[in-house]
This record gives sequence, C-alpha cells and structure tokens, in this order.
Amino acid sequence: MKLPKLKLKSKLALFNALSKAIIVTALLFIVPWIVSEITIRETDNLLIQKLDRVTEMIDSLGIENYISRDNELKAFGSYNILKEEFISIEQISLDSLIDEIQFSQRIIDNELVDYRVLSYSLEKSGNNYLIEIGRSISTIIRFEEDMKRFAFLFLVIIIFITIILDLSFIQFLLNPFEKIVRKLKNTDHPTSFDYTEVQTSTSDFKYLDYTIHSLMHKIEDAFNNEREYISNVSHELLTPISIIQSKLDNILSDESLSDSDLLKIMDSKHTLGRLTKMVRTLLMMSRIENEEYLLIEKVGINNLVKNVAEEIEDKILVKELELKLILHSENIIINGNENLLFILLYNLVNNAIRYTQKGYIEIETSLENNKLVLSVSDTGLGISKENIAHIFSRFKNFTPHKDSFGLGLALAKKICDYHKIQIKVDSELEKGTCFTLVFP
Amino acid sequence: MRILIVEDEKSLASEIKEFLEKEDYNCDLAFTGNEASDLIGINPYDFVLLDIGLPDLNGLTLIKKAKEFDSEAYFIVITARGELEDKIKGFDLGADDYLPKPFSLLELKSRIQAITRRKFGQQSSIIQFGKFELDIIKKYLKYENHTVDLTKKEYKLLSYLILNKNRILDRLQLTEHIWGEFYEDDYDSNYIDVHIKNIRKKLSLFDEANYIKTIRGIGYKFESDL
Repeated sequence: MKLPKLKLKSKLALFNALSKAIIVTALLFIVPWIVSEITIRETDNLLIQKLDRVTEMIDSLGIENYISRDNELKAFGSYNILKEEFISIEQISLDSLIDEIQFSQRIIDNELVDYRVLSYSLEKSGNNYLIEIGRSISTIIRFEEDMKRFAFLFLVIIIFITIILDLSFIQFLLNPFEKIVRKLKNTDHPTSFDYTEVQTSTSDFKYLDYTIHSLMHKIEDAFNNEREYISNVSHELLTPISIIQSKLDNILSDESLSDSDLLKIMDSKHTLGRLTKMVRTLLMMSRIENEEYLLIEKVGINNLVKNVAEEIEDKILVKELELKLILHSENIIINGNENLLFILLYNLVNNAIRYTQKGYIEIETSLENNKLVLSVSDTGLGISKENIAHIFSRFKNFTPHKDSFGLGLALAKKICDYHKIQIKVDSELEKGTCFTLVFP
Repeated sequence: MRILIVEDEKSLASEIKEFLEKEDYNCDLAFTGNEASDLIGINPYDFVLLDIGLPDLNGLTLIKKAKEFDSEAYFIVITARGELEDKIKGFDLGADDYLPKPFSLLELKSRIQAITRRKFGQQSSIIQFGKFELDIIKKYLKYENHTVDLTKKEYKLLSYLILNKNRILDRLQLTEHIWGEFYEDDYDSNYIDVHIKNIRKKLSLFDEANYIKTIRGIGYKFESDL
C-alpha cells in the first residue's frame, strides 16, 4: 500500500498556519483603518473633554477673563510653542449654533498647520462666542503611528503564541491517535496485537481504539478457531483411520480370502494411506501455524542436502534421472527445525522428480550477498505463468497425478514462512523449474 | 509375553488384541487410565501399549505411576497427536518406543520384537535361510563367508520380510516400514518393487532359489521353512 505523504498532524498544522496567514493579511489591511478611526475618536473625545473644561472655566471665571470689553479683536488665543494644540475664543455674530469637529487649517505664527478642530458656539452675556480647540494632525499621526506599531507587535506576538499553542495542542490531541496507528503498524499477525488500552479523553479515539480492539479480538478468535478446528479435526480423524487400518490388517491376514477380495482390501488400504498422509500434512501445517515447533536446532545445510539426496536416491534411480549436488565449500550452519527443513527440501526435490521425465535435478547451495541461497532446479515440465501464482495454494494440482493431492508445496511454503526463508520460483514450460530459497 | 493395551477406542483396542493374540501374546485391555493403573498394579506386564490421549488421565502420567509401582513393563506410546514435544517427553519418562496413529499392526509387532531383542537379548540374533545368514543386531547378510552387499534400505526391507516370513506384506506396510512417516504428498509405492528387484538380483548371485514371492497387486511374501 502506498501511503500519502501528509499525516493528519501535519495537515492540521498546515491548515493552522494557512488560516493564520490569511488572518494576518486581512489584519494588515484592516488594522491601519481601525487604528486611525480609533485615534480620531480618541482625539475628538480629548477635544470634547477640553472644551468641557474651557466652558467650565468660562462659567466660573467669566468670559471677561478671556475677552475683555476693551479688547478690540474680541478674541482670545492660546497655543503651546510646538503648535500642537491651540484654544481660541472669539466673539461672533451668528444666529445658528455651531457644534462640529472637522479637519481644517489654521495659520499660527505665519505658519499653516493642519488641525483637528472642535468648533463650538456659546452664548454668554448676550454675545455669541465661538470656542475652537485644535490638535495638530502631526501629533495625531504620531499617536496613530505608535498605535499601529503597538498593534502590529501585539498581532505578531499573539499569532506566534497561538501557533505554538495550536501545534502543541494538536500534538497533544492526536497523541492517542498516533498510538493507535503505531499499534496497528506493529501488528503483523492477529495474534501479536497489543491490547493495552490507549489513554485518551477524546471519545472518538476511545471509540476507535475500542472498535479496533473488538475487531482484532474477532479476527484473532476466528484465526484461532480455524487453527484449532484443523488441529482437532486431524486428531479426531487419525483415530478412526487407525481403527480401519487395523481392521484391514487383520482381514488381510486371513488366508482364506480370495484374490479379488485381497485386491479390494489393498485398494482400500491404498486410499486410507492417502487419507493418512493428507491428514498428517494438514496437521503438520496447522501445528506450524500454532508455532509448536522450536527453531533452535543448528542444521548444517550441506548435511541436510546430503541426507535428502540419500533418502530420495531410489526415486531418482527409478526414473533414471541424475541428481547433481553443487555444494558450497563451507557447510553453513542455520538455525531452525531440522525435521521441518528436511521435509521442506524433500518436498521440493520430490516435486521436481515427479514432474521431470528425463534429465537431471540439481541442488545447489551458495552464498550471495552474505546470505545462504539454496536452489532446486529440474529439467521437467515447467509451470505456466498463470499457474505460478497458485502453486503454493493448498489442493492445487496442474497436471493430473493420481497419487498427489497438492499439499507438498503448500507445506513447503509454510515451512519457509515459519523459518522466514524467502522462496522464489522461476519456470519455463518444457524447460524446467527452479525453486530458490534465500535464508535470512 | 503379557501385554496390556491401554486404548479408549474399544474397537481399535480389540483389533490390536485380536492381532497380537494370533501372534501368541497374552493381552489385557484397559479403556481408561485408572483401569490401566489398577491392572499394572496387580499384573506383571512385559509390554504396555499406551494411547497418550486417554479420557481420564494423561498417558504420560500413567508411565510415571507405573514406574512408582516398580513395573518392569516396556512402554510403547501410541498417539494421534504426533507431537514432537510429547515424543521427547515420552522418552524422558521412560517410554521405549513411539508409534503415531495410524500404524500397521505388523509395524507394531516389529517394534515389540525389536525391544524384546534389545532388552531381553534371549533370542538368537542370527536368522538362517538356505545358506544365508542374517544378523538382525549386527545388521549384515552373509552367504557362507561372503557378505552380501545390500544398501541400507534393501537391508531394512529384506529383514522386515524375513522377520515376517510366510506372511504377505503389502506395499504400504513395506513403505511405512522403510520410509516411516515422511510428509511427502504422494503415495507411490512402486519404489518397493525396484528395491525388491535389486535384492533378488543380489541374492541370485549366490543362490538361485526365489525366496521372495510376488503376490500380484498386493505385495511380497518371504517364503522359507528356515
């Protein structure tokens, strides 16, 4: 299975970063506008406060304190030296009331200065006065700049903090999920699943963990049941077979039997013999699946080959084939179960003999990339491409062979898997087949 | 010779009994471990054929018990499980041989004989036919003073036929004796014919008499009045 590159955690982090980036860009446009709005409002409030204080002072001290009757200009002005602010009061002849704040320019000390100006008309002692309080734009802008700078700094810090918080939270949140994934990754067989519960307060993960556990239990049960079933069936079958065989043996020893009866009994024995082999092979396969064999024996590979060759010699002779042994100079020792390894090699060679009518069978041991390689090749019928995929399946036989029921290679494959031996098949029709075993 | 057959399958137990009694052994039957334990306590047996999968107690426990009674019986363990571990345990606990189910009754007899020869040593190890001499302990065949050169399998086959002389041995019985329980998935016993042919050829170099008779469709019989 090809896995996508991104993990859930990375996706969430990526989304998080992206959304933050979008927010930042949006804020870059909005913040200056907001800040200037705020500063204008703040300035206006300030101007209004000042106006309140000025009117208060006029109320308590009297307008004459600012504009004396003999003052020809009928006006009062005050500003600080930096021309940041000014306050002016002047008598006007106006009917309508003025109360407004706007940007306007004033000439102070022959200098044109931009101001935010609050204009307010006031009626005092029968005269109308206009009070104007201004704050220079440059001051406002400076304030605004400060505000902006502060806002951006704040923004950056906040975003930085939230990204870190988000990432660690995602990590924390997904930790149980990762544990569940790891548990599944470490499971190569239903029986090797780790049933320790993953600690989490997230109900989804709890549910996921729980569901996987219960499914795993089901798979394991089904698996164990099947193994037990095969094993029990085999046990239970061997006793009745034994009874029948003993009865046939006893009948055969009766000398009064006719020849045709004898032949019939022989035929039954023959069938029973096949049944026995089949049950024993199935039993052995289920016992391998149950891991009942210990893999602790030290087996010299060349000795193994020689033993098999000796055992199978008569079959070679009967079919007038040649058995070639090409053995590595060193008798390499492997760990495993000698009996199983013997059966593995015996089955491969036996299979080669069965499908070879003339020519030779070759068993070769060698070292390739520091790994022990054993190959069994023949000059037999060969296996067609479409059949190669199925040769290790149980009860598959491609050429009719009356005495074979297709368990030999299935058993060989089981033994290889159990020993972690790689088994490969190369074959060409009419040319021959080569089984290669690569030892771990 | 007195033999106790401990087997919970009554049908199998009685077949074994029938066969062994024809071979002049005295047999008792026990269908449970407790029955067997009682019988071993009372009677001096030479052999106990023990099915390991008994309903009431493990067959191996029975061997232990029997040793406590100072029984001198030899134990041949029969099992349908064919478990290696049990095999090792069986030998550790004093089982003298081991037969996986199903087994041929002749094979059982030959195991009993083998143990008898090994343990009692009372029978002569040399069997003669014509001018041939077969030593079943030293494992050789001689004609007068010439050794007949037999392969391991040929020797095994011939001695099995001789030990069961005047009895038809079918190909399957011979195959089982020679190859044991190999997990090959074919059951082609033509190889027996080839071996027999070779044995006949080797014997005929010394003696023209045809000792091994072919029973067509079934197997072979070693004929000799010794």
